[in-house]
Amino acid sequence: MRWTILYLRSRYAPAALAASVAGVAGCWVLWSLFSDSRDVGVQMVVLTVLIAVAALTVTLGGPDDELEHTGALRWRPRRVVHLVVALLVVAVPLLATLVTGARFGPAGLVIRDAAGLLGLTALSATVLGPARAWFLPLGWTLGAIMVPLSEPALGRVLSWQAQAPDDRAAGATAAVLALAGLAAWCRWGPARRVSA
Amino acid sequence: MNRVLGIELRRSAAVGTMLTLAVIGTLLIYFLEQIYFADGWMQLAMTMRLYLALLFPLALAAGAWQARREQRAMVAELFSTLPRPRAQRVLPVVLAMTLAVVAGYLTVGLAGAAWIAGTARYLPAAVFAVVGVGLLALVAAVWLGLAAGRLLPSPVTAPLLAVVGFASLLLIPGATRPHDWLGMMLSPIWAMNMPGPYETMNGLVSAAQGLWLAGLAVTGMLLLISGGWRLRVAAVLPVALGLALGAAVMPRSVDVLSAVDTRAKELVCSEDEPRVCLSRVHAGLLDEVTGPAREALTVLAAVPGAPTRVHEDTSTYSPDVFPPRQADVVLLDVEVGQDAHLENGADVVANVLIKALSNPWSCGEYSGRSDAMAAAFWLLGREPALNGELNQEAVDEAKVLWQGLAKLPADEAAGRVAALRKAATNCAVTDGALLGGARP
Repeated sequence: MRWTILYLRSRYAPAALAASVAGVAGCWVLWSLFSDSRDVGVQMVVLTVLIAVAALTVTLGGPDDELEHTGALRWRPRRVVHLVVALLVVAVPLLATLVTGARFGPAGLVIRDAAGLLGLTALSATVLGPARAWFLPLGWTLGAIMVPLSEPALGRVLSWQAQAPDDRAAGATAAVLALAGLAAWCRWGPARRVSA
Repeated sequence: MNRVLGIELRRSAAVGTMLTLAVIGTLLIYFLEQIYFADGWMQLAMTMRLYLALLFPLALAAGAWQARREQRAMVAELFSTLPRPRAQRVLPVVLAMTLAVVAGYLTVGLAGAAWIAGTARYLPAAVFAVVGVGLLALVAAVWLGLAAGRLLPSPVTAPLLAVVGFASLLLIPGATRPHDWLGMMLSPIWAMNMPGPYETMNGLVSAAQGLWLAGLAVTGMLLLISGGWRLRVAAVLPVALGLALGAAVMPRSVDVLSAVDTRAKELVCSEDEPRVCLSRVHAGLLDEVTGPAREALTVLAAVPGAPTRVHEDTSTYSPDVFPPRQADVVLLDVEVGQDAHLENGADVVANVLIKALSNPWSCGEYSGRSDAMAAAFWLLGREPALNGELNQEAVDEAKVLWQGLAKLPADEAAGRVAALRKAATNCAVTDGALLGGARP
């Protein structure tokens, strides 16, 4: 227990968790106030997932990753647990809104985007370091929301975040990103020696 | 100062920001859907503005990211002990980031310019106003980003700010309805998609947008250099002032949304006879059009009452403005293709003939296209076939009519084509006009 608390503190987990949940709550309040529709627009849903994931990015590294790499701890199972919990932190508040007056759904889209974006973020954290890990997810997702391409399969892969939940190409892209991120970050952990 | 600026250019996020904006902007203007700026410089400037939808939030994020550098390097506390005014201390990095966004945006412009430089001639002053507002939007974004990153030095600030900026741009149209003038002033991407060939931006609109964005930028700068609450509260003033001045300048009528540049529509003609004239915005295509247009006029000369000049059809709609109908002028539709050259150049000869034998757009009566096509290809002496024709049914119909026409005795057929030409000058062409009815 003590280790868990120390680990969470070293990952800035309280602040990140607060930011993530506050982001979702903020979007929920905004939609409840300004829209008559119960179902939240797909752009808003994807943006909310993006906010929640971006807020958790900071937890993918600690204050001194170099030092931690020398520790004789079994990091891989711990990192798997970390990512799974992060996915729950993103998905559960959003799925909870399905029973409220502003529904952030459909559930398939929320889970696909949350998993894919978390995987992409974890992959970035492995390569660029946690501080820069939000660059690619942010740019890619904003672009995909701006122009959700539906025509060639490549277009659906490139704008997977904004596709319909039952879209095969988008689902496969998200799955690949999620698994790649999970594998890379669990295997190597956050990038070391990153300049400020 | 120059030395410090040089160091900041290398050691800050400036180079990365510039490259990111330049690469993403260039990819967007070229590869998103299609190239919307083939017509000319105004279309390029407006297309660049449209993709601020993505570049604006990215500039916000870049500023916020840069502002947290001292926290990331764990020297924020150390630097705060420096006995130097804050404004002086942040100036080099602000300059570096400003240069970065300006250079990034202008690089997108240069990348687009390389595509159209061969054919785009008409460069009105309004182009510079449209580009200037775009630059101001990015400068305001990066300054606001720097301020936000400084006031809220958290790793979440930068991505969150980008999302907020992006969402604001998306929400402005809905939030300001029905006051479209307000939305247009606030949002630099408003009414910028798919610009038509004669479209322009009203100068007053650009001025109002500039005032609002300048106010926003100054507010960002004040927040960035502020040391206490007094200056932070005072920072509301510039943005409020920009908003008020902008609202005072901004035209209220909705027709500014589709402003038509009458100078761009004016005709520019070939030097020698027979005259071929294109609109000023398409003047660079004159060499491509003149040859085939004259060839078509030569073919047409066999028809009594044949036209002797070809003009571009510069019709614009809602409000409808048509070029005058003249008996000796063919009004040709000129479309610029994705390659910034004439679309379907191989069809020009046939198109001139078809337009000479059908009602001009100003008649409001669009039937008889297959008849015109059949007659045109009878004059050319070959079976109807058009590369750029979207309506393949009309071509098939024209083939049948063309065969019917070819079966007639030569002078009978010539008489029917002459009658079609006569009808076209009176807005009287209808479906079946070529073969149906009595011989004139």
